[in-house]
Amino acid sequence: MLEAENLETGYGPMQILWGITIKAEKQSITTIIGPNGAGKTTILRAIMGMIQPWNGKITYDGDDVTMLPPHKKVERGLSMVLEGRHLFGGMTVKENLILGAYTKQARERLDDSLEIVYTLFPILKERSTQKAGTLSGGQQQMLAIARALMTRPKLIMLDEPSQGLAPIVVEQVMDTLKKLREELEITILLVEQNVLVSYHTADYTYIIENGQVVKEGEPSECIDIQEIRKAYLGV
Amino acid sequence: MVFFEQLAGNLLYGIILGAVYGLATMGLSQIFGVLKIVNVGHGAFIMVGAYVAYWMFVLYSVNPILSIPVALVIGLALGLGIFYIVIRRLIGAPELASLLATFGIGIFIEEVAKFFWGPDHRGFSWNIGQVDFGITLIPNTKLLAFFSSVIIALILYMLFQRTRIGAAIRAVVEDREGAMVCGIDVSRIYAMSFGIGIAMTVIGGILLTLFIPVGINPYMGGEYTLKAFVIAVLGGLGSPWGAFIGGFIFGLLENGSYTILGLIPGVEPFSLTRFVAFSALLVILLVKPTGLMGGE
Repeated sequence: MLEAENLETGYGPMQILWGITIKAEKQSITTIIGPNGAGKTTILRAIMGMIQPWNGKITYDGDDVTMLPPHKKVERGLSMVLEGRHLFGGMTVKENLILGAYTKQARERLDDSLEIVYTLFPILKERSTQKAGTLSGGQQQMLAIARALMTRPKLIMLDEPSQGLAPIVVEQVMDTLKKLREELEITILLVEQNVLVSYHTADYTYIIENGQVVKEGEPSECIDIQEIRKAYLGV
Repeated sequence: MVFFEQLAGNLLYGIILGAVYGLATMGLSQIFGVLKIVNVGHGAFIMVGAYVAYWMFVLYSVNPILSIPVALVIGLALGLGIFYIVIRRLIGAPELASLLATFGIGIFIEEVAKFFWGPDHRGFSWNIGQVDFGITLIPNTKLLAFFSSVIIALILYMLFQRTRIGAAIRAVVEDREGAMVCGIDVSRIYAMSFGIGIAMTVIGGILLTLFIPVGINPYMGGEYTLKAFVIAVLGGLGSPWGAFIGGFIFGLLENGSYTILGLIPGVEPFSLTRFVAFSALLVILLVKPTGLMGGE
């Protein structure tokens, strides 16, 4: 579905990614984990086209999309939920959703998309006339995911969707992601700081350190759950 | 009683001129709101509008109101051209770079205008009668300028609130990256916003010629750059609607103070109006630093 080969990029003179190769198989949940500053967010931004790759190749759905700008990628069914959500805070929930359906293909299916999104997140229907900036953190995350769904994506990339949310809300978000995969057949590429969440949600995991993949595999293979329990919980 | 009649008359004039001030500033606020670039060369585009009005009138006997569509086309072309040649490279650059660049563009346009049209003042006179409001006489040309400004501002408001492109522009203003992941072509929105912003400024320049008794010249814009900054800040920099309201406030301050200062013996009121307007700006900024209409 999506493949990044030997991706290299950075900001200004500073190189962040040193030859990253990752893959997201169709209808899978793939997670990227690693410490702060390892380059996880940069990988997603480079794939989306928000920063330009210096080197390497990105293939999506069989096409080379390395140099396409973000809006062209959205048109092809690639969407992203940014870290910090990046909603239009001064606009209503519904206005946010309608802007999600900005591309031509998405606009034609606007009503259908709204129904899907409202079924998935009934709370957004209740709050549809409320300003997005006044929603709670969890609701804002739902709206960010819903807005991404409005673009009618085949693949969604999410950057730390659990950040700043209570554990119970994190669980809801992860359940939603599983639902998206099963019911809407969407492929998911997830950057996650929370290793335990990643462990329980992912089909495949990449561990990134200093801009390189240091380990990959199914979560049970590449994450040492005992060690994480020790590190996180001290047991 | 004479005093109050004079004051009322000047305030009425202030409202009429204020609408045109507002329109002539909306472009500055629009460009800052979307691109986060302060167009220091703003006044040069006002001057371009004034010359459009002048030449259309002198060469083709087309009156300034009917020249508005011409200004729209010239403004859009000028704005898009400058965007793709210069401004595109300045998005996200340090502020000093964009300030110097827009300052330079302004000087360049002024010098080109001087090269072709010379440094002298030129004027034209368009007289189509006047309306007696009891307290004062207002020429019909100025009333037409007033109504044109209000109508153009309303059209822009509808464009922003009711169309898909307008929603996309508002989205970019609120959150650039959020707009990107919605599939909005942000660089195209930048280009359009800059083009529309310059077109509004050029149109503002056309209408301002109806208020300039001494005529126009290539360096006339500087004064309007200053006024536009005051008005934009009054309206909360970045909001075109705020700027439109700010124009009214500025017009009222400028013309109201004229009457009041005239009461002080030994004071030449006209030379002090700008002082009063800028003092008001200082007071407003002290009380509410985000501008009168500004948000957080």
